[in-house]
Amino acid sequence: MDNPDLKAERHRRPKEDFDFFHDQRVRWVLYQILTIGIVGWLAWYLIGNTAHNLAARGMNTGFGFLTVSAGFDTDFKLIDYTPGVGTYGRIFVIGILNTLLVSFLAIIFSTMLGFFVGVMRLSPNWLAAKVALAYVEIFRNVPLLIQVVFWYMGVFSVLPVVRNSIDLSLGSGLMELNNRGLYLATPVFGDNFWMTPAALAVAVVGVVLFRRHARKVQERSGRQIHTLLPSIGAVVLMPLVVFIATGMPLGWDKPVLEGFNFVGGTSVPPAFLALLISLSIYHAAHVAEAVRAGILSVNPGQREAAFSIGLSQARVMSMVVIPQAMRAIVPPLISNWMNVVKNSSLAIAIGYSDIVSLFMQTALNQAGYAVEMVGMTMGFYMVVSLTISFFLNIYNKRVQLVER
Amino acid sequence: MAIVKAERTPDRRPPVSEATVLGWLRKNLFSSVSNTLLTFVMLYIIYLTVGGAFKWGVLDATFIADNRRECYDNSLTGACWAGVIHWLNNIFYGRYPRTEIWRINLGGVLLALWMAPLWISRVKGKFLVGVSVVVFYPFLAGYLFSGGEKGLFMQIMVASALVAFAVNMANMLAGLFSRQGLGTFALRVLGQDKATGKTQRNVLLVLIAIAFGAAFFWQMSWTIQSVVWTKWGGLFLTLVISGIGIALSLPGGILLALGRRSKLPIVRVLSTGFIEIFRSVPLITVLFMATTMFPLFMPEGFVLNKLVQVIIAVVLFNACYMAETVRAGLQAIPKEQFEGAHTIGLGYWGTMGLIIMPQALKHMIPNIVGSFIGLLKDTTLVSIIGLFDLLGMLRSISKDVPWMGLHKEPLIFGAILFFIMCSSMSKYSRHLEVKLSAGRKR
Repeated sequence: MDNPDLKAERHRRPKEDFDFFHDQRVRWVLYQILTIGIVGWLAWYLIGNTAHNLAARGMNTGFGFLTVSAGFDTDFKLIDYTPGVGTYGRIFVIGILNTLLVSFLAIIFSTMLGFFVGVMRLSPNWLAAKVALAYVEIFRNVPLLIQVVFWYMGVFSVLPVVRNSIDLSLGSGLMELNNRGLYLATPVFGDNFWMTPAALAVAVVGVVLFRRHARKVQERSGRQIHTLLPSIGAVVLMPLVVFIATGMPLGWDKPVLEGFNFVGGTSVPPAFLALLISLSIYHAAHVAEAVRAGILSVNPGQREAAFSIGLSQARVMSMVVIPQAMRAIVPPLISNWMNVVKNSSLAIAIGYSDIVSLFMQTALNQAGYAVEMVGMTMGFYMVVSLTISFFLNIYNKRVQLVER
Repeated sequence: MAIVKAERTPDRRPPVSEATVLGWLRKNLFSSVSNTLLTFVMLYIIYLTVGGAFKWGVLDATFIADNRRECYDNSLTGACWAGVIHWLNNIFYGRYPRTEIWRINLGGVLLALWMAPLWISRVKGKFLVGVSVVVFYPFLAGYLFSGGEKGLFMQIMVASALVAFAVNMANMLAGLFSRQGLGTFALRVLGQDKATGKTQRNVLLVLIAIAFGAAFFWQMSWTIQSVVWTKWGGLFLTLVISGIGIALSLPGGILLALGRRSKLPIVRVLSTGFIEIFRSVPLITVLFMATTMFPLFMPEGFVLNKLVQVIIAVVLFNACYMAETVRAGLQAIPKEQFEGAHTIGLGYWGTMGLIIMPQALKHMIPNIVGSFIGLLKDTTLVSIIGLFDLLGMLRSISKDVPWMGLHKEPLIFGAILFFIMCSSMSKYSRHLEVKLSAGRKR
């Protein structure tokens, strides 16, 4: 069904000079073939060398080692493990859990501290703003590794010996700190203890419903119901009453000094504490900068308008400025969390058993599956960072929908 | 009835709350009850930290002692800086032979002189100066620092570096005194400034050839003792690693960023994958990979020394971060710039090199400096895999018998050194940002 006019049109068009080497499409294809060639050759060369070297050194390959039992112990583990029985696979899991534990806690502490410092940085009080500035500048400009080592060597290693432990819980013996770490009492739950958390849950649900109701009332009639005090009261009092009514079914397994060490409770090694504190402090400085930039990104008119309708300083921050600033704060905040996870690998400098020091160093030295172990460790970090950036992308999409 | 006053009303004094120190204090520190309370809390915190640090670090500190015991005899509650002072040479130069330290210092002075023209506004040809630092200085410095026999290639490069340095210095002087580039200045002195372009070029080439010949014969007579890299250490090693890292990661990052924004799907996918892999893992794993896996990658019998492995790892790692910085800068360039460049017939490299990159790099300077600061701080990680950089040296003080267990003071000294380096870099970049954006401000 050829259209004769069109056909004639096509014939009338001047014929394009086709120059093979100066045609863009040809060049694109050629460049890409060239790239594949170079990268492929490099990969083939490296893999060939590696295979040859592995064979020449008689090194084993494959993932069979994961089911082989490992002969070394670790000082800090969240799951059961016995040296000589537990496998390398279990070591891998212990390492992952240790990394995630310290990163998770450091993320929480650094975010809280960072918000505090970031808001303080913009305080109308000159002195407070300068103190916050000094905090940020000092801790951002000193390498994290120096801070980690300082906390470990300079603070936690020179704490008193076990016999003269410092009691952090004001004499109740629940937290003992000494140069072997922090000894914590573990709670022992009695028979009816489950009712206390249940009461807490009921209280929280009630408070949420109450606040929703209060908001509705305000939107409908403009009448404000004070929610803060009743909420706190409900959340604190209800579990407390239930706890006392059920006969206080909670005991403590306290760390007790026996011989040369504490027995009972759980203990955290000094390396963990040093890493946790230095990560929190260092990253809090970065969070503070993100928070400050985010708050400054909110149009000053918003703040002025909020003041002009009579809101207090605190309410202006919490109800007008911070909710809008969050849009600018969250992306850098999350990439900062990613850095916390990555920087927790500095544990290796002070011997906390995170995945790098436990799996990539100790296990690698013992078993020697270099390629597999390095690959697995890097794979773990990639999975974590991909997961985090996945959630970040979801958040960004949601926030963008809110925008006009 | 006249209500116009004949004489001028005298100006009223500004209100106390605006003009005096008291007013400032009241406004900024004591404006309300809670603010006053906050001020006192802050004063107390400052008293605790600064006062405590001053007492420990200065008042009660020991500066002269032969070992830690003497420090304790002097004062139990103060710092023992004597250990740091004893180790000062090690902290700065590592175990570099003491008689050869002048070479490191000379290298530093040469670099400072070489870069000086970049900060003098009257000097012409700054771009060439920058390129010559990156291309030639490493060879001269490499020879100075490691010494020993040099092959023909090294001889040529050292001689070229000498010529480049001399030209650079002469150019700086010419710029300072006559506000001209060296080329025009030399031609004027030789009376050739009216000659044809071809003659001018030939004259300049002859001048450079003569200089090169002289430099080549001069450097042949040099003999300096060879110093193995294992003797390098301290701040010197930190600066070598981060300096090479900075010089190589910027071009690497630019290439990767261009690859990631390329229209060719395969190039784009490969660059993106490379960048994302390195950005999602911690530096220490990359360093471990370098030390455990690079030996496996190499053909049998070919051994890379640890320093080279570390430098490759640092460069790869930082190039990926730099790539993201550069990409952000490229995204800020409006599309019209690309289209304009295409309209005047520039190809891909012409567009990028002449139009886009100069603008993008200018926008990116603060972020690039930020990456450099990060790189400098990250360099401390090489101490974990057994190099004696600044941190490695600081930590080995506590293993030296007279200073056994001296941890805090060296670490604090290192922290102060890094603080000075990093914060002055970031101050400078903020200054540059203001200076460069002056044209855009209304």
